[in-house]
Amino acid sequence: MSDNSNVTLTIDGQQVTVPKGTLVVEAARKIGIEIPVFCYHDKLEPVGMCRMCLVEVGTPVINRETGKPELDEQGQPVIRFFPKPMTACNTVVSDGMVVKVNSESALADRKAVLEFILTSHPLDCPVCDKGGECPLQDLTIRHGPGVSRFDYEDKQHFPKRYPLGDLIVLDMERCIICARCVRFQNEIAHDPVLAIEERGRNAHIVSYSNPGFDSHYSGNTTDICPVGALTTRDFRFGARAWELTNYPSVCNHCGVGCNTVLSTRLGKIKRIMPRQNEAVNEIWICDKGRFGHHFNGSPRRLTAPLVRQGDELVETTWDDALRRVAEKFAAIKQTAGPDALGGIAGARLSNEDLYLFQKFFREVIGTNNVDHRVGLNAALEDETAYTVGVGCDTDLGRVGRDTTILVLGADLDEEAPILYLRVAGAASKRGAHVINAGARRTKLDGQAQTVLRYRCGSAAHLAWGLVAEVLAHGLVNQDWAARLEGLADLQKAVQAYTPEKVAATTGVPAEAISAAAKAFAGAENGIILFGLEAGSDPSLRAAVEALALLTGHAGRPDNGVIAVLPHANSRGAADMGVLPHRLPGYRPVEGQAGLSAAEMLTPGSPVKGLLIAAADPAADSDTWRAALEQLDFLVVQELFLTETARMADVVLPARGVAERDGSFTNLERRVQAFDPGVPAPGQAWADWLIISALAGMMGADWPYASADGVMAEITRSVPLYQGMAFENLVAPITLERRTSHYIYEGMSFTADIREGVQWPTLAEGDASLPLRFVAPADPPAADDGDFILAAPRVLYDAGRLLAEAELVQPRLHRPEAVLSAGDAARLGVQTGDTVTVSRGDVSVSLPVRVDRKLETGIVLVARNLEGRPAEKLLGPAGLVAAVQVEKGGGMKAEG
Amino acid sequence: MKFYRSHVLVCVDPECLAKGAHDILDGLQDELVYQGLIDEVQVLETSRIGGCANGPEIVVYPEGVHYVGLSVDQLPFLVEEHFLKGRVVESLLAKEVKRADEELGPPKPKEVRVVLRNCGKIDPENIEDYIAEDGYQALGKVLSEMTPEQVIEEVLASGLRGRGGAGFPTGRKWQFCRSAPGSPKYIICNADEGDPGAFMNRRVLEGDPHSVIEGMIIAAYAIGASRGYIYCRAEYPVAVRTLNIAIKQARNLGLLGDDILGSGFSFDLEVRMGAGAFVCGEETALMASIEGKRGEPRPRPPFPAVKGLWGKPTNINNVETYANVPQIILKGAQWFASMGTEKSKGTKTFAIAGDVNNTGLIEVPLGITLREVIFDIGEGIKGGKKFKAVQTGGPMGGCLPEQYLDMPVDYESLTAAGSIMGSGGMIVMDEDTCMVDIARFFMEFTQDESCGKCTPCRVGTRRILEILERICDGHGKDGDIETLEMLCQQIKATSLCGLGQGAPNPVESTLKHFRHEYEAHIYEKRCPAKVCRGLIHYRISDNVCTGCMVCARNCPVEAISGERRQVHYIDPDICIRCGICQQVCNFNAVEVY
Repeated sequence: MSDNSNVTLTIDGQQVTVPKGTLVVEAARKIGIEIPVFCYHDKLEPVGMCRMCLVEVGTPVINRETGKPELDEQGQPVIRFFPKPMTACNTVVSDGMVVKVNSESALADRKAVLEFILTSHPLDCPVCDKGGECPLQDLTIRHGPGVSRFDYEDKQHFPKRYPLGDLIVLDMERCIICARCVRFQNEIAHDPVLAIEERGRNAHIVSYSNPGFDSHYSGNTTDICPVGALTTRDFRFGARAWELTNYPSVCNHCGVGCNTVLSTRLGKIKRIMPRQNEAVNEIWICDKGRFGHHFNGSPRRLTAPLVRQGDELVETTWDDALRRVAEKFAAIKQTAGPDALGGIAGARLSNEDLYLFQKFFREVIGTNNVDHRVGLNAALEDETAYTVGVGCDTDLGRVGRDTTILVLGADLDEEAPILYLRVAGAASKRGAHVINAGARRTKLDGQAQTVLRYRCGSAAHLAWGLVAEVLAHGLVNQDWAARLEGLADLQKAVQAYTPEKVAATTGVPAEAISAAAKAFAGAENGIILFGLEAGSDPSLRAAVEALALLTGHAGRPDNGVIAVLPHANSRGAADMGVLPHRLPGYRPVEGQAGLSAAEMLTPGSPVKGLLIAAADPAADSDTWRAALEQLDFLVVQELFLTETARMADVVLPARGVAERDGSFTNLERRVQAFDPGVPAPGQAWADWLIISALAGMMGADWPYASADGVMAEITRSVPLYQGMAFENLVAPITLERRTSHYIYEGMSFTADIREGVQWPTLAEGDASLPLRFVAPADPPAADDGDFILAAPRVLYDAGRLLAEAELVQPRLHRPEAVLSAGDAARLGVQTGDTVTVSRGDVSVSLPVRVDRKLETGIVLVARNLEGRPAEKLLGPAGLVAAVQVEKGGGMKAEG
Repeated sequence: MKFYRSHVLVCVDPECLAKGAHDILDGLQDELVYQGLIDEVQVLETSRIGGCANGPEIVVYPEGVHYVGLSVDQLPFLVEEHFLKGRVVESLLAKEVKRADEELGPPKPKEVRVVLRNCGKIDPENIEDYIAEDGYQALGKVLSEMTPEQVIEEVLASGLRGRGGAGFPTGRKWQFCRSAPGSPKYIICNADEGDPGAFMNRRVLEGDPHSVIEGMIIAAYAIGASRGYIYCRAEYPVAVRTLNIAIKQARNLGLLGDDILGSGFSFDLEVRMGAGAFVCGEETALMASIEGKRGEPRPRPPFPAVKGLWGKPTNINNVETYANVPQIILKGAQWFASMGTEKSKGTKTFAIAGDVNNTGLIEVPLGITLREVIFDIGEGIKGGKKFKAVQTGGPMGGCLPEQYLDMPVDYESLTAAGSIMGSGGMIVMDEDTCMVDIARFFMEFTQDESCGKCTPCRVGTRRILEILERICDGHGKDGDIETLEMLCQQIKATSLCGLGQGAPNPVESTLKHFRHEYEAHIYEKRCPAKVCRGLIHYRISDNVCTGCMVCARNCPVEAISGERRQVHYIDPDICIRCGICQQVCNFNAVEVY
């Protein structure tokens, strides 16, 4: 009847075979029998509290003596039904089980439960945001009683507009106490800030945090809320669900590449919803992605090309603007040579934009002076993905007990929130071994089984220590040894990095280093994530690569390295060769490498004319601003009149992600296409079109008519992107995924439509793989009384796009210096006081925040905040440095 | 060891100390020396003899004579009379005082005390007292002579069933927990006695804590548990203190902790306090509470024996269940099984309250009839009134009318009659009780205590209450009875835990046995017991009223008018039916109709 891993049961007369451990509700879904639910959600642990899924359940009677099922006269097993109805949401199937979903008594029970729910519900559907896509409405039609036995006057009353925080509003009258929101926060977001207070009919949802509902994931609770109890400030009374036109998009706020839906009405984005992709974001998006879309429709957007007339920028036609650029670039090329021109493109651009951007400079201008490493990308770049990136079909939402995940210098909750959910879930729900190595406490420490705390700036030492331990204990994966080049040299080079020596440098105990190396090497699957706080140190990257290769954790699903890159298309920018030393697909340039962004932006650089797209170096650094001032000619493609754009000679208005199509490559190398959803403001053009038109003006004969067309060329000329024509990128998700999960019942749009395509790494082929050793730099030494400045990245930073989202302004991080309680006491300061942080001749005054959980000797100043204090102290690419911190602020905070 | 023919126990409770107990102690010593009896009579300190109000007090053993109100001057006479001449000094004897409700009286006929055997007899704060009553002998026997399987066999054979109310065979529960995979395993004692008016468990915890502790250690040994919790409601501060003292003493004697009695078996216990939620008496909610979570139940299965505290196999029994265990081990399963009925063995404690002459705590063999409990032990209805109903099993029990009086009290019979055993509350109601009002009262309690987790209990109980309130207020309407019946049935079927599943019982049973009262309320707008304010009226009887004006003076709303020496009149439109006039009238002239 059934093998060991499957069981067969009968539901309403239909037989179904499902894996052991399946819940009755899921088994029924599999054969198309709907069991209505409110509290059950398959991403959450079942609790059986709403009682909506009551069914009759019987199991075969087992004869105690024989151990076999008893049979009746017809030879059928005798079924004994449980005396009370059972909740299908938490009853696990068993062999021979008989379930009656639609029996008379089960129907009556469910009808009763629904009536109870409805007697308290205000039935204010006409003004409810959930109306039209509300499970309660839908289930009432299907299962509810026609009339209520209870008087309207008896309804329960609660405050109608109770703010749970800045973003989420609670209408307690609509709440049916399914606790999905509370459970999401506890089980998935690991921000247990919601709770049910009081009991019985007075039970209600409260937020205990300050500020209220303090979580990066709060918006998701409004999605899974089965009624309109939780609504977002953003969409509240925004539109009726059925009036919305929905377009698939991809979030452009970080490198995770969450799949989203633009719900639009009359050409405006009304809300951003998650789109289901189990391989990327499951069904979640973070609040930055959900509420940070307002840059699209902002009145401050650039609507027409601008050209400089004296001190002013005045509007002009596209033709005029492009002609000026073409003429000036041609003139510079002629007088000073092609290398006097350069291009800097931000990693916010799509693959198509970036490909044409570098092609323009390499083919039309004839220089390798292109780079994307500005802004946050200046501090973190990555090429390890090319060799040891995570294998195709890696799914962090699936990995479990047999997997070890090493997180190195990444604060995932801030840098890549949805990645945090997935890694934390792997640890807390599925038993993966997460080793969180960082210089300071991060949220993942709470879920990680192992926490390694290294000294600021010593991440590379720790990584080499792990490599050395792998080699010292013979933990090298023998299947791989033959493909590895330079094993003997490496072995010799890392000999010195004994656990004891590394322990002395990093402060991580020698036993812990040894244990971590063994845990990582010994696991069936191993994944390494490294982030901004480990930085771009070539030594660290070499060590990470070596660790993955030696242990065989590369080249197959659920194995490999993920660099937690900062921008939506940081990965794509590197893939597309927007690098002075790399052509598309990581091929080395022929001949001389071009100038890097940092070199181009050095005052006195040979570059005279610069095209900057989607980047704002003038805001990032005073040095860079000085370099821009010295240019002969500056062209900026932008959404807004940024500080850099203000300095430009020509400003070209570009389209935002919601106004055009294109593709992003996320940090797991998944290429995902997005569609336009709203019209562009004024005369804005997509960046690829601007570049294409400019190339045309300069004599190139480019045939591109659409982003699709550009991608078609990419697939031909970049071998890595072979399979990524748009028709593949928009191919529907395989059927199995479609049925396994859902965001909520009754959704008014199709939420699982595209899967995206990953490109294979070198390790997935059979090429030989080089091992390199790069000696790590010593961590900065703090002299007596000095502090180590570390500059983490925060989710709500001073990015230009987020500045347009009014709702999240209260959550933006203001510039501040975070000190440990001990250090604050030593300096005699408290939260709110001012300190001066100085390094060399740079000093910045900042308000203090005391963090009791911070290690002593560290001062944290987050990156990319207003005035860029961290960048001022460290330089745009710097990671950590020894600084002095003094009480009081002699001077005003600069910038 | 020295032999004394007499022992004098002097109470040193705070109250007695304040009244000079120390002087009595010293005085006794001196007097015994003076009269040359010091080698024959030993003077000891003790507590809780029970007469502190009239202290200082002493008890003389072996006779068990209890003297109260002593002063130092009386001691020479007392010592001479009692110890030299062997005559009891009548004038100093403690008077038989009518005990307050909660006190445990001397056993009445038909009572058999197993669980309560030591209560009031031993000093609960002195482990040696318990040991002197064969305490911890069962543990010694278990650890030295029996395998865990044999212990479970013995408990199974005794037929002991859970005394928390559901009556699940204790031995079977232990067996499940023992065979469940996983470690560590936990033992929990449910001492969250929340039923209003029930205090059986409190009495055991306060009076004989070691019997519970010993039972738990034996259970832990049988199951293979290493750690235990006693979950006691915070409203029982004395019980908590007593338990903590008892645990400390047991630990000091090596009866708790590592390597108990050198057997290699280790087990330790701690007391956890509840925070006042009734639902925390439900086992899964109780475990959530111990884990520090919101005290809410979760669906079963998985049962605690498989997945309990912190997801580990856990055995959870009631105070009374554990207190029975040492006796079963010592005296044998046969002895225990000889009491009770075929399916319900042993004894059960009940807290009798309500309109009986003799309220209080009793322990009777199961199978005794309700009539024996109420009329023999409870000594009948107060004021010679007529018996109307008895409600068993706490707020989720049912009300049973007269025809059930000869029904044996056991798990099956009570369930069949539409009530439950529960933890042993028993509320007796006389003819002046309105059954609709009673149903309303219990519903008020359960809906207030509903945790709110599951819909039927959260909403449904409130809905029932609303209808009952309406009926009691005189606004009942046609169809209410049918709606109530259906609601009861639906809530019972669909609720998550025992609270919701049991909450409709008082309504359902009163609907079944006293339907005519509901009908009178709804259709005749009349409360037969004259209780429901919305349906009663006060009037002054013409031929009795003397016109003294007391009622008019006391009426809070000035509804009563009338001149001195004239018959008074109550204006029904103003009257709020508070009943003060009836209470203050010296001539019983105010009547209810």
